[in-house]
Amino acid sequence: MIVIGLIASAIGIAVALSIDWFPIAGSTQAKKVDTLFDVLLIASVPIFVFVEVVVLFSVWKFRMRPGDELKDGPPIHGNTLLEVVWTAIPAMLLVGLCSYAYVTLRNIEHKPKHEMVVNVTGQQFAWSFTYPAANAGAKPITSTQLYLPKGKSVKFNVRSKDVIHDFWVPEFRIKIDAVPGITTHYRITPSRFGSYPVVCAELCGLGHSTMRQTAHVMAPADFQAWMQRKQAQASKAT
Amino acid sequence: MTARLRAPGLHRGLIGAALGFALAYAIVLPVRAAQGLHPVLDGDAVTIVGLLSAPLGFLFGLGAFDYWFYYLTGRPTRPEDHSGHGARSWKDYFRVNTDHKVIGIQYTVTSFFFLLVGGSLAMLMRAELAQPGMQFVSTDGFNGLFSVHASILIFLFVIPVFAGLANFVLPLMIGAPDMAFPRLNAVSYWMLPIAGLMMMASFLVPGGSFSTGWTAYAPLSTDQPIGQLFFTVGVQFAGASSVATALNFLVTIITMRAPGMSFWRMPLLVWANFSTSLLVVIATPFIAASQFLVLLDRALHFHFFDAAQGGDVLSYQHIFWFYSHPAVYIMMLPGFGIISEIISVKSRKPIFGYRMMAFSLLAIVVLGFTVWAHHMFVSGMQSWIRIPMMITTAIIAVPTGIKVFSWLATLWRGVLHLDTPMLFALGFLTMFVIGGISGVMLAMIPVDIHVSDTYFIVAHIHYVLFGGSLFTIFAGVYYWFPKMTGRMFDERLGKLHFWLTFIFFNLTFGPMHYIGLRGMPRRVADYSQQYAGWNLFISLSAFVVGASTLVFLYNMVSSWRGGPRAEANPWRALTLEWQVSSPPPIFNFDTVPTVVGGPYEYGVPGAVHGVFRKPGEVRPPTPAGGGATQVARE
Amino acid sequence: MEAASAAHAHVEHPPEANRSSRVEPQLLGMLLFIISEVMIFGAFFTAYFFIRVVQGDPWPAPGMEIPTGPVAINTAVLLSSSLTMHWAQTSIKNGNRFGLRAGILSTLFLGICFLTLQVNEYVHVGFAPHDSAQGSIFYGLTGLHGAHVCIGLILLSMVTIRAFRGHFSAESHRGVEVPGIYWHFVDVMWIIVYTTIYIL
Ligand code: HEA
Ligand code: HEA
Ligand code: CUA
Ligand SMILES: [Cu+2]
Repeated sequence: MIVIGLIASAIGIAVALSIDWFPIAGSTQAKKVDTLFDVLLIASVPIFVFVEVVVLFSVWKFRMRPGDELKDGPPIHGNTLLEVVWTAIPAMLLVGLCSYAYVTLRNIEHKPKHEMVVNVTGQQFAWSFTYPAANAGAKPITSTQLYLPKGKSVKFNVRSKDVIHDFWVPEFRIKIDAVPGITTHYRITPSRFGSYPVVCAELCGLGHSTMRQTAHVMAPADFQAWMQRKQAQASKAT
Repeated sequence: MTARLRAPGLHRGLIGAALGFALAYAIVLPVRAAQGLHPVLDGDAVTIVGLLSAPLGFLFGLGAFDYWFYYLTGRPTRPEDHSGHGARSWKDYFRVNTDHKVIGIQYTVTSFFFLLVGGSLAMLMRAELAQPGMQFVSTDGFNGLFSVHASILIFLFVIPVFAGLANFVLPLMIGAPDMAFPRLNAVSYWMLPIAGLMMMASFLVPGGSFSTGWTAYAPLSTDQPIGQLFFTVGVQFAGASSVATALNFLVTIITMRAPGMSFWRMPLLVWANFSTSLLVVIATPFIAASQFLVLLDRALHFHFFDAAQGGDVLSYQHIFWFYSHPAVYIMMLPGFGIISEIISVKSRKPIFGYRMMAFSLLAIVVLGFTVWAHHMFVSGMQSWIRIPMMITTAIIAVPTGIKVFSWLATLWRGVLHLDTPMLFALGFLTMFVIGGISGVMLAMIPVDIHVSDTYFIVAHIHYVLFGGSLFTIFAGVYYWFPKMTGRMFDERLGKLHFWLTFIFFNLTFGPMHYIGLRGMPRRVADYSQQYAGWNLFISLSAFVVGASTLVFLYNMVSSWRGGPRAEANPWRALTLEWQVSSPPPIFNFDTVPTVVGGPYEYGVPGAVHGVFRKPGEVRPPTPAGGGATQVARE
Repeated sequence: MEAASAAHAHVEHPPEANRSSRVEPQLLGMLLFIISEVMIFGAFFTAYFFIRVVQGDPWPAPGMEIPTGPVAINTAVLLSSSLTMHWAQTSIKNGNRFGLRAGILSTLFLGICFLTLQVNEYVHVGFAPHDSAQGSIFYGLTGLHGAHVCIGLILLSMVTIRAFRGHFSAESHRGVEVPGIYWHFVDVMWIIVYTTIYIL
């Protein structure tokens, strides 16, 4: 039975790891989250397999056969050693997983030396993105789409004008609520060119499912060009 | 005619409700006129007052308070003649009855009615989600669907159905003739249909049903159309009902156990309900308060959750989850109790590690109060709170693991009777471990930051609530069906129900893990094309799950009406409820039994749990209930 | 309770339940109920904590004045009602029906005084719940407590009626004791509310 369990666990882990669970990894943070998830899978599959093997084996081996209708099992009331073992092993496993999760959390929330800032504002039912003058040049720039240069750490300051929203780009793996009255934030470093959906992940009313925009990750030079175009437009407007 | 209208009952209840509603006008109009508010007739205000006064009027009319009314005003009370005990025809289920067995059945049947309602809403939801784009309902209508779906299934199905099953079997199990406060018990029951009908009625009001999810986060919920109030107030009734029942269970368990039934001889179902009731009494006031605060914000323009006026938005979530996390254990611990009964009886072995089973329940109760903020990892709360919450959340897996492993050890070397209750118990083990493990993944903050508010959560919810709680409920209903109705159910249909549910449940909710991780958010009526294939698959499987419920329904109804008569103890169980006839006699026992041993001594030659002794007659202990219960001696 | 044990000729009776604990069921029920009441207050205090401590809003809000002094009288009134309640309880334990009636009436009177003073305070306090979050929580907590005083008064008036009909005696006085516990709870709760809202 142990052999069957080991083989099934190995197969289970292999299958679990071969599935492509996540969307494309679009930030340096994403890879760390994905690795953590893989570790969790490796830890979980054997637990599940163990439970299943015991259940199925019992069903196969100990099920009532004709003639046994009035038979009882042996009166086993417990076994201290066994109970200690199955308290201690999960506890140790969980301590390990929590520590690793903590390290990952520290990593993905690490504050870099240089970063740009984008102010994100949610309202029913659209996001707007403001690049403060410190990064954008003469004037703050506001855009309805999110543009980011690849490879540069960004800090999002997230606010809301009405109810709670949630700023999420699945490819970046990080989300945070936009809460009226306070400013929340998170950091990511985009690591891949492309356009990704910006999703509102917190129920915010009847337009919640339509509160979608796009994030574009571009080469730093293209980003600068976009910024200048926006600056020009902004000064023309005034 | 007037005599009939004056007598307690549904007629008088409806009149009472109408009077209560009239009272709402009578209160609101003068008050608004006196304050010079415009318009004097304000639908909102009348609705709020009416939502409280009409149900109270109904309960008064129904006769739920008659006795106390007489008692407290010092009028002569009718001596309790026990004519309210037992149900002689189906009509007796529609009046105030103080018999715990009648109330247990009232509870259970009502809750299953709400399962069908909540499940049908899920069917509508899956129809809408079968394809991207909008087909049947508006976006707001969809928000209403899942909000009512979840609220009804949580507050009017899972929580009360456990209370109902326990109402029926728990007094029998501990050798008590009834609950400690039978009249309070009846009132608890009658608040349920009120809460449920209120939530359903919200679909009829202008602006549609409440649509802020079962979590009703402020400040969204404080500026919604009137339908939101039906949640805000409905929850008060459901909450009051469950607090009253929990109090009743605690007092019953503490003060009414049979002689010899020490705490360490109580069946685990009793332990489970003891723990659950502690959770209910301590935690439920928090959701009541959270909805009071919302009501004040919405109706009287208080500013508890209004950031612009100095209110704190996140405090709503803290208060809500301080109830609602313990609530998930309120929805699981009684199930653990049911499974312990079934696995022990059906494996013909004592439960493994009885004391640890009880201690782990208590450990979960205590830990359950320390983890609420794991629902708020992305809420923007102070970030340091996340770490202790992650650790406590993970620790809960340890006592839960103890239970799972003890059940496995109970199976080991037993004689497994694989009939319907046992199949559901084993199905529960499998499904709950998946749901629990995905819970532990959610506890890991970086993973939760990505998957929070996605279909991964929806998958977790249903693996623990459907694969966990609902499977235990099915198991329990099949297991006690002979006791409750005196009839046997159809075993073949039961197995069919199990396999259909088990397979299509997994096909429905399994893929949700995947699409959630891939980035599909929850609570959306529309989604991007890339999830279309899986959603269609999920919807089709969900319809089969729905259809399988019809098999269950048919089996229950037809077996109740015409199934073969059940023996007193068809499962050869030791616990006390099986030592009396099926269905039990009106007063449960002629004399209260004496408990002489543990509840699960299967395989111990000649062991008994309780004996019935006629007063004054001293006999050596014999197995109670007659031949069928005789523990097999080979 | 008293009535429930009265024998009735024709109908069968359930067996006498075993009493497995020395605690009286009614008493235990009331204690558990009080636990859940404490938790309701706990939830309101959580809101208070978030507004005053976590948000760090100024307390009281600018332009809002909390009448600590006048309300001290109120506090004294309510606290003395606990004493009269205690008097009523001990009297009936000793079979003194006059003491019971006098005690319960004065408790009732003091309770009504408290509520009247409270309403008077609301009228003159000079700010409304919808002025600010601080105002909301002020009215929220005192109002919640006021509602409990109301419930307590209803219970007490029932006790009064029964006391005057001579329903209680030295042997049978649970009907005084249990509402009495509730009344003491309401008083203790007021001390906490008073301290947190008015004094701190
Ligand atoms: C019956 C109901 C129920 C139960 C029992 C649980 C049990 C658990 N839940 Fe779940 N949960 C819900 C119902 C439930 N949950 C609901 C309804 C929501 C969503 C609310 C909403 O937003 O609408 C939710 C959401 C939810 C979240 C928030 C997600 C989010 O919104 O971002 C989290 C995060 O930590 C979580 C964790 C857990 C954990 C760790 C357990 C643990 O108790 C599980 C413990 C069990 C096991 C682990 C399995 C058995 C153990 C072993 C075999 C031992 C060995 C195992 C290991 C070492 C891993 N749950
Ligand atoms: C005990 C609790 C419970 C149960 C049993 C269920 C049962 C089901 N749930 Fe539910 N669900 C929740 C609790 C529960 N759910 C909660 C708490 C949420 C979160 C809500 C929120 O976000 O606020 C949720 C959310 C939720 C969602 C996500 C909504 C969203 O976020 O957009 C979905 C989507 O598929 C879903 C589907 C289903 C399905 C298909 C079933 C099925 O298993 C139902 C099967 C039962 C029946 C169908 C009833 C019997 C059949 C009939 C009456 C006949 C009619 C049948 C046919 C037409 C075939 N549920
Ligand atoms: Cu904004 Cu959902
Ligand atoms: Cu939780």
